[in-house]
Amino acid sequence: MAQASTEEKILITGNVAAAEGAVRAGCRFYFGYPITPQNDLPEYMSARMPAVGGTFVQAESELAAMALLHGAAAAGGRAMTSSSSPGVSLKQEALSYLAGSELPALIVNVQRAGPGLGDVRCGQADYFQATRGGGHGDYRLLVLAPHTVQETFDLAYEAFDLAEKWRCPVMILSDQQLGQMMEPVVPAPMSTLPAVRDLPWALSGAEGGRPKRIVKSFYWRPGELEEFNKRLREKYIKMERELPRWEEDRAADAEIVLVAYGTSARIARDAVGLAREAGIRAGLVRPITLWPFPAAPLVAAAKRGARFLVVEMSWGQMIDDVKLSLYGTPRPVDLCWRAGGGVPDVAEVFEQVRRLAGK
Amino acid sequence: MEFNYNDRVLKPGYTSCMGCGEALAMRLVLQACGKNVIFTNATGCSEIFTSRYPTSSWNAPWLHSLFENSAAIASGVYYALKHKGLLGKVSVVATGGDGGTADIGLQCLSGAAERGDDFLYVCWDNEAYMNTGVQRSGLTPFNADTTTSPAGKVSFGNDRCKKDMPQIMAAHGIPYVGIGSCGYYRELGGLVKRAMAIRGPKYLQVHSVCPLGWKSDPAKTIDMAKLAFETCLYPLYEIINGVTKARRAPKDGWKPAEEYLKPQGRFRHLFRAAEGASQIIRIQAVAAANMRKFWPEVAVPQFALDAEAKVAEMDKVTA
Repeated sequence: MAQASTEEKILITGNVAAAEGAVRAGCRFYFGYPITPQNDLPEYMSARMPAVGGTFVQAESELAAMALLHGAAAAGGRAMTSSSSPGVSLKQEALSYLAGSELPALIVNVQRAGPGLGDVRCGQADYFQATRGGGHGDYRLLVLAPHTVQETFDLAYEAFDLAEKWRCPVMILSDQQLGQMMEPVVPAPMSTLPAVRDLPWALSGAEGGRPKRIVKSFYWRPGELEEFNKRLREKYIKMERELPRWEEDRAADAEIVLVAYGTSARIARDAVGLAREAGIRAGLVRPITLWPFPAAPLVAAAKRGARFLVVEMSWGQMIDDVKLSLYGTPRPVDLCWRAGGGVPDVAEVFEQVRRLAGK
Repeated sequence: MEFNYNDRVLKPGYTSCMGCGEALAMRLVLQACGKNVIFTNATGCSEIFTSRYPTSSWNAPWLHSLFENSAAIASGVYYALKHKGLLGKVSVVATGGDGGTADIGLQCLSGAAERGDDFLYVCWDNEAYMNTGVQRSGLTPFNADTTTSPAGKVSFGNDRCKKDMPQIMAAHGIPYVGIGSCGYYRELGGLVKRAMAIRGPKYLQVHSVCPLGWKSDPAKTIDMAKLAFETCLYPLYEIINGVTKARRAPKDGWKPAEEYLKPQGRFRHLFRAAEGASQIIRIQAVAAANMRKFWPEVAVPQFALDAEAKVAEMDKVTA
């Protein structure tokens, strides 16, 4: 968690927390476009960015916002964009280009229900899009999944350090409820980083006599692109080893392990509480990184003989990662899902836990 | 007097806000288009308030699109109708708001115009992204306060003038460009009929008062729309086959810009801040340029000439 400044505590929405977390981490470029349910994020940034000497642009489209991000990141700025599901779909081509150019940047997706126009109500059906890259080509994003407003702030605060360390775009995968709810946040202090830094890849003009820097995602000499893909793959394998992060709650002795992220994790946690009261040994594993997916706690639980219940607002996306994680130690994996704007309530999750426990 | 709602293309019961100028404009424009039309509709207020689940106000074929592609979907429908031999029997009308038209949808609209696809595109111009909570768009006027162009200590709101969409569309060489207003609702049908009589791409932009976003009195919607024209901040004209024909100028002469700006909350800061007066002069100068451009035969009033002179003075490059 980010270090707290003295006695500062603010009541903000998850969307504003993502914005303020990024600002305090030194983000000075925000590019966005209106789409519900993330509008309070660009609205906040339209006043906040000028106040900290940054740049706010409401682009003419999601595509333009993403390409603005590409440009600012290439020039060494800490830049972010935000959107919600259909808007994030529009950003995918440019997002692939950023990943292929190994540029650091922050993208916030406040998920709503789909597919198509869908609905502005809560959803988690962009999991595949977020964790499999989303656009064309072989690439991954580092995907962070907060479940509280404080955690949204903290992960946004940390996102740029991770993005720059791994030269990989970072996505915060939020959702409508998490984005629009208000909770108190103890914010980290303002970064003292300059708005634009002379990072080793950053474009800074043709004068100055420094060695040439190249930001690109095309490699046209025979075999060169394949070599580049090999290098990317090695990077992603390294990230898979080093980055998985998760939180466990009463999982150590659990016979039924719930797996959930974001808003679903808050609901699953309450269901675990009800189950424990009913004498059922239930627990929760909450992935914080969705890619790389934290397989270790699931494998450990499987080895203890636990079975799994995935809770998500989609008719089954994260469950695939749970099953893949258990490839070598197969155990039953069930799904408790709501989709199309439906949010599971604690009672229905608990009911399914109770059935699985045979009680 | 009895109303026969069965003949309405847009049936009553839609959930627009009180005093919505767009709803009024839509009802009349769609009525003039007729029922034997396939409408495409970009996401926005017009889509939301006419299709409240589980009901629909659309008494005609209606195809919803994404935000950016109402025009492209209309093109696709047009090609299919052509293939079926239905051209001339069934018309295609694409609609969208100002954000869906001038910002994110401009590419699809430009492509359709350039290809010469035969349909009418109607832009409901309420001058911001109202459906998502009043964010600025490319058609938000100069100095308007919106949620993403907030007026405050360092800003007078939207720092750019409206994108000149009618002229952009006219530059495509399309046979019809028209600008209407919900304030002159009786004239909307005529604009549509003139447009629909022409084959090829047609563009109609309708100034639609939004009391919610403009922070204006819902009871004064018609007055507000009329003032936009009477102050020459929203010139109304048609370009048919390259010939520009402006609506007749107000009988009693052009009115000062303040009369339009003052009743609207989105311009309130101009009347509060000390420096606001110079901004109002700039807006007045924009109106003066419109007067000269579209009504060269009508004398520009003294207050408009004064504003132009003051702006020239303010912007003079000092050696």
